[in-house]
Parts: sequence; structure tokens; C-alpha cells
Amino acid sequence: MAEKSKSKKSVWTTLQRYALTGISFLIPIVVAGGFMMAIGSIAGGTSVDTLIGETNLPNILYTCGSLILGMLPCVIGAGIAFGIADKPGIAPGFLVGLISKYIGAGFLGGFVGGFIAGYIALALRDHMKVPSWAEGLKPMLLIPLLSCLAVALIMVYILGYPISIFMTALDSYVRGLDMNQKAMFGAIIGILSGVDYGGPINKVVYAFLLTLQSEGITQPMAVLFLASMNTPFGFTFAYFLQKLFRKNIYTKDDIECLKTAFPMGVCMITEGTFPIIFTALGKAMISTAIGASVGGALSMVWGCGVSVAHGGLFAMPAMTNPFGWLAALLIASAITAVVWILLCKPIDINAIRTTDESEEKDVDLSDFKVA
Amino acid sequence: MNIVGISACAAGIAHTYIAKEKLVEAAEADGHTIHIETQGTVGTEDELDPADIAKADVAIIAADISVSGKDRFKGIKTIEIPTELVIRSPHKLMKKIEEIVESK
Repeated sequence: MAEKSKSKKSVWTTLQRYALTGISFLIPIVVAGGFMMAIGSIAGGTSVDTLIGETNLPNILYTCGSLILGMLPCVIGAGIAFGIADKPGIAPGFLVGLISKYIGAGFLGGFVGGFIAGYIALALRDHMKVPSWAEGLKPMLLIPLLSCLAVALIMVYILGYPISIFMTALDSYVRGLDMNQKAMFGAIIGILSGVDYGGPINKVVYAFLLTLQSEGITQPMAVLFLASMNTPFGFTFAYFLQKLFRKNIYTKDDIECLKTAFPMGVCMITEGTFPIIFTALGKAMISTAIGASVGGALSMVWGCGVSVAHGGLFAMPAMTNPFGWLAALLIASAITAVVWILLCKPIDINAIRTTDESEEKDVDLSDFKVA
Repeated sequence: MNIVGISACAAGIAHTYIAKEKLVEAAEADGHTIHIETQGTVGTEDELDPADIAKADVAIIAADISVSGKDRFKGIKTIEIPTELVIRSPHKLMKKIEEIVESK
């Protein structure tokens, strides 16, 4: 029994690892494309049909940004398939992405299809038996051709239709939420995308929200923006607010850390705050979750949406109701800051933080692979 | 004990490097020699020296994603763990790894 649950867990972690591999390829593209579109739209650019002869730089930026973002189904498909099958996964992975774009299955199609492409390529690589005269043809011709053929047929005849039906259903469900449900939905997205600070949960939610965004449902992504920025903003606010509570919670090292973490936060990168988060992980998570849930609910209720996939404050021109969103962010950050101050132990500003082994959680290696 | 390893995370900008730092700190505190290669979003850095791999007693792969070059660790006891575990409990992890290696 124990054996069974263990293997179940490792299947889940394996799938998660492949999904995260795909997302790791996705991130630079999302950031580059998101910023290009955001800068382009700040400067008044729009999408144009022909780039040749185009002289308006904002239009070029906006169009190029949207071109590369349009490739996301391919990047996630190829990335996941690559994670599973290494190089042989790239061709079928890319193809599932293109098919998904073509048949309207979008990001979700690329995501699901990437797994199929990867496992087909892996199976062909490891289990296909060929006569010895064909050994040379196997990597050159047979694996790419057969894997692409197989995923094409699967995507077109089997998966394409259910995925597009599912997308339509998801679409009408999210659009049909009433005010209370919206607030709830926002709070949940806020917590999930905030509490692990850009870790696996955040990335999975991100993939889900990209799917919604590609369907034109842009509000949930605004919540993720908010939740990602809430922590660096909140922890920085805490520095200024701590005097009101007559409590010092930061050391000199922490303050140095905040000086880089805040600008990173403005660009929607949470990771700069890590050194501070790790001084009290549990307390940081509680304050982040409370702030992000309130902010997420407000942002949803106020109908704030964002049409780009990254960019932080610079994405505001690409938002609907940007100032509502900013207000929600500031409120969320203030709440995070206050909770954080209340939870933290006071510390001398000149103190040096040390790590104490006895405070570490126990390690159970039985869940993990030892070979 | 001689340790080699790879660290990698989804975004490839933070967990990867923190995991490396924690592993090195914990290993050195226990008097081990350690070399960790990072596979972040900027690509592979501090690539492992084949000579270090050859004399390693254990390989640690602290990664949330598929890493490349695992085949280099053929024949070495290899431990695969998520970065989060390394960051949370580096010293206890090191003790566990010592147990595993000694039980060989």
C-alpha cells in the first residue's frame, strides 16, 4: 500500500517536472514579448499586418511582441516534449503547438499535446525495433516522421475537439461568475500564485491563466501580476510602516536586500525578496497569502484585466482599469506589510542573521529518487 | 566525502542559485568537498570538471525541471530532490546524504 502511494507521488512529481521544464523555456519569451508589447503600447503602438516598410517603432515593438507571444503553444509543447524525450521531442512538440494554434486549442492544447508528443518520441526512441540496415535511418528519419505523424493524427482526430469544447466551457464559466464568486476566484488565484513565490504552484497557475488569457479572459492574469508584486511591495512598505508599530524587523543586510528587491518587484519579479522570506518562511507566507487574497478579490471585483503576460507596472498601459489594479496592489501590499510587521520578531538593526540547524524541518528522503 | 551536483529551477534565476549556495554551505560545514553546476535561465555555469565527477562519492541533483548531462553521473550514487527541500533544510539533508553514502 505504502509502495503504491509512493509511486503515485513520484508520478505526479515527474509530470510536474516536465511541465516546469516547458515553463522554464516559456519564461524568457513571455518576459521579452510582454515587455515589448507593453513598451510598444505605452508609446502608442498597435498591431500591424506588414512589418516590411513599417517605420513606426512602437508598432514594430508591439507587433513583434505579439508575434513571439503567439508562439507560446509551440514553446510549451516543444519544451515539455524536450523535458520528456530530450531532442527527439522537439519536432513533434513544436507541431502540437502549431496544430493547437490552428484548431483553436491554444495554450492548453500545446500543454497537453506536449506530454503526448514527448512520450511518443520517447517510446519510439527506446522501444522501436528496426532491422540493422535501418539503424541509421531511425534518428534521422523514422523518429521525427513517425512521432510527428502520430501527434498530428491524435491532435486532429482525438484531442482537438474535446480541448476546444473544454475551452469554451471554461470560458463561459469564468465569464458567468457573479460578484461573490469573482471575489472568491480572485482570492484563490491570489493565494495560489503568491504563496510559493514564483515556485512550482505559481508556475502551474500561470500556465492555467495564460490559457484563459489566450481566450480573452484577462482579469485572472491581473490577479497574478498583483500577487507577484505584492510581496516585494509589501516587505518594502513594512520598512516604512514599522516605525508606526515601534518595532524594528529588518537588519542592515535586509535593508540592502530590499533596495534590489523593490525594483525587481516593480518588474514583477518576486525572487529578489528571497533572502528576507527565508528568515521566516511561514510568517512570510501567511502575510503574503492574506495580502494577495484581498488584493486578488478587489482586482477581480473591480474588473481589472491585463492583456500581456508579464511586465509588472510597465504593463499598466495594457490593462483595463489600470488604476483600480494599482489601488488593489497598494492595498494588498499595505495589508501584507502590516501582517508581516505584526508576525515578525523584533530584531536589532545591526544583528547578523544566522541559520540554526535545529530550526530546520526534518528531511524525509524516502519520497525522493535515490539511484 | 566528495560531492558533485546540479541545481536547476523553473524560472532559473533564484532557486537554482540559492540551492547551490545552501548545498555548498552545508557540505563545507561538514567538511566535504563539493562542486555544484547551475543550469539557470542564462545557461550552464560552473560546469563540472570530469576529474571531480570521477572521484565523487555521491551526486546530488537539486532540480524542479529536467536537467541535462545526467549521464555523466553513471555509476555514482545519485540523489534527486526538489530545490525547495535543499533550501528549507540543507544541513539535515546533508546528514541524510551522509547516511545514504555510508550505508552503501
